[in-house]
Amino acid sequence: MSHGDTIPLHPSSQSDIDEIENLINADVHSATVLPARPPSPPRVSIPISHSPSPLPPYQKVTPSASPPPVVPAVPAAAAAPAGSSRIGISSDAFGSSPDTLTEPVWDTVKRDLARIVSNLKLVVFPNPYREDPGRALRDWDLWGPFFFIVFLGLTLSWSASAKKSEVFAVAFAILAAGAIILTLNVLLLGGHIIFFQSLSLLGYCLFPLAIGALICMLEGNVIIKIVVVSVTLAWSCWAAYPFMSAAVNPRRKALALYPVFLMYISVAFFIIAID
Amino acid sequence: MEEGYTSLPASHLLGSVPAVIAEDKTTSVASEAASSANLHLFPPSNGGYRAPGTPSGADEQTTSSWQGVFSISSYSSYFNVDTDVVVERIISSVYPMNDFYRKIDGNPDLYGPIWISATLMFMLAALGNVGTYVMEKRNDSSTTWTFDVNYVEWSACAIFGYVLAVPAAFYFLLQYFGFRTSLVRLWCMWGYSLFIFMPICMLLVVPVELFRWIIIILAGTASSWFIAMNLKACTQSSDLMILIVGAMVLQFALALFIKMFFFP
Repeated sequence: MSHGDTIPLHPSSQSDIDEIENLINADVHSATVLPARPPSPPRVSIPISHSPSPLPPYQKVTPSASPPPVVPAVPAAAAAPAGSSRIGISSDAFGSSPDTLTEPVWDTVKRDLARIVSNLKLVVFPNPYREDPGRALRDWDLWGPFFFIVFLGLTLSWSASAKKSEVFAVAFAILAAGAIILTLNVLLLGGHIIFFQSLSLLGYCLFPLAIGALICMLEGNVIIKIVVVSVTLAWSCWAAYPFMSAAVNPRRKALALYPVFLMYISVAFFIIAID
Repeated sequence: MEEGYTSLPASHLLGSVPAVIAEDKTTSVASEAASSANLHLFPPSNGGYRAPGTPSGADEQTTSSWQGVFSISSYSSYFNVDTDVVVERIISSVYPMNDFYRKIDGNPDLYGPIWISATLMFMLAALGNVGTYVMEKRNDSSTTWTFDVNYVEWSACAIFGYVLAVPAAFYFLLQYFGFRTSLVRLWCMWGYSLFIFMPICMLLVVPVELFRWIIIILAGTASSWFIAMNLKACTQSSDLMILIVGAMVLQFALALFIKMFFFP
């Protein structure tokens, strides 16, 4: 996507006023009119005034983050915590066409889903990038972990015959607080990870256990449950291992990995034990 | 740890160590040579890593004293252990020998207490359910498996509450009686003392009531003895027998609570 540092910035604000008028007066799907304008994204052209408020809020991000290599990380960081509104707040805000504000909701959802699937493929399934943890989840997001944690909690809650809401509360608390505490543990041991990237990874590694919980909900035999959960537990631990072990000093590798295994083993036991 | 010297604005005070110690005595107990100055203070009062004995100007201490609580790097000094160090401390907590306190004196860590407590919490919840089911099945063979989620909540409150509250209470009591100890060392010691309950949990699943009672009494005694020996080493006197006996009683009470609540 085009970025403002290759094209001279337009000093006048008249082009933006025209832009705003176009957006206000035009139909929602008439975004095709806009490519007639010069290809430079007008949002980058006003480092001096932030007054045009009808423009989407991510404009504020652009002037301050001009170095291009940070492009994928910054919008993702701006997008990830904004879980409330899914319209317009997308990770492609940088230099993209103004479509992201006016695009259909389905396009936004599709883009987020595609990112979840690609992250899942990178983390959980065997692929050539697994040995390089920094590369693995460069485009991290928190939607995937959120889906998997809620799904796991709901599945366990449905499987339980009594105290369903308590089961959900305990499962959700253990997983959410556990991911944060595990990340803090690595940071305190002197490791080098990015906080949200690690949260994202630990959430994605729950995917096998979520599948295991679904199978256990549908299947009642204890032996089959134990086998299925053991396989998915091993899969989850295998998925999380390279990232965590690369993050710390090799002498402290076991100290960083043990809590991860503890959390997954206790969730696995929870899945088997819920009646 | 050279970066500690260069990053402080008060690094010009390096040359005048005796004067700075005199200036510093209100803020930190820098008198014990074997230990880092910042490990005595909890919560940490500096914003980042500090080399041991590095002086900081009194004004810097007061202005940045609260910011250290929220910065992760200032807590890193309590996690400065390697795998083999942790394993060695765990082993020495099981054999009730006197030297555990000397081992942690220079470098108390919070990694052991936190994760031993977390592991014990999960084991109690899980094995407590298994043990209860097995015992009921033995008495009445028609019972079905139920998983009581409340065990998780009770074990979390009991274990973490015990490990957080009892050393804090003893810290204040020891301060009252005039002994300067460090809260982190007390937390470290109480945390490692819980390790012996982990294999005990696994043994408590056996549904023979007499066996369970024998096991838990043995474990409680061993753990209480560990606490008593180390408190004695910590306070370096035996004038506070009442406190030491109190600590032993509390540890034994925890053992009995574990048996009676989780493995009835």
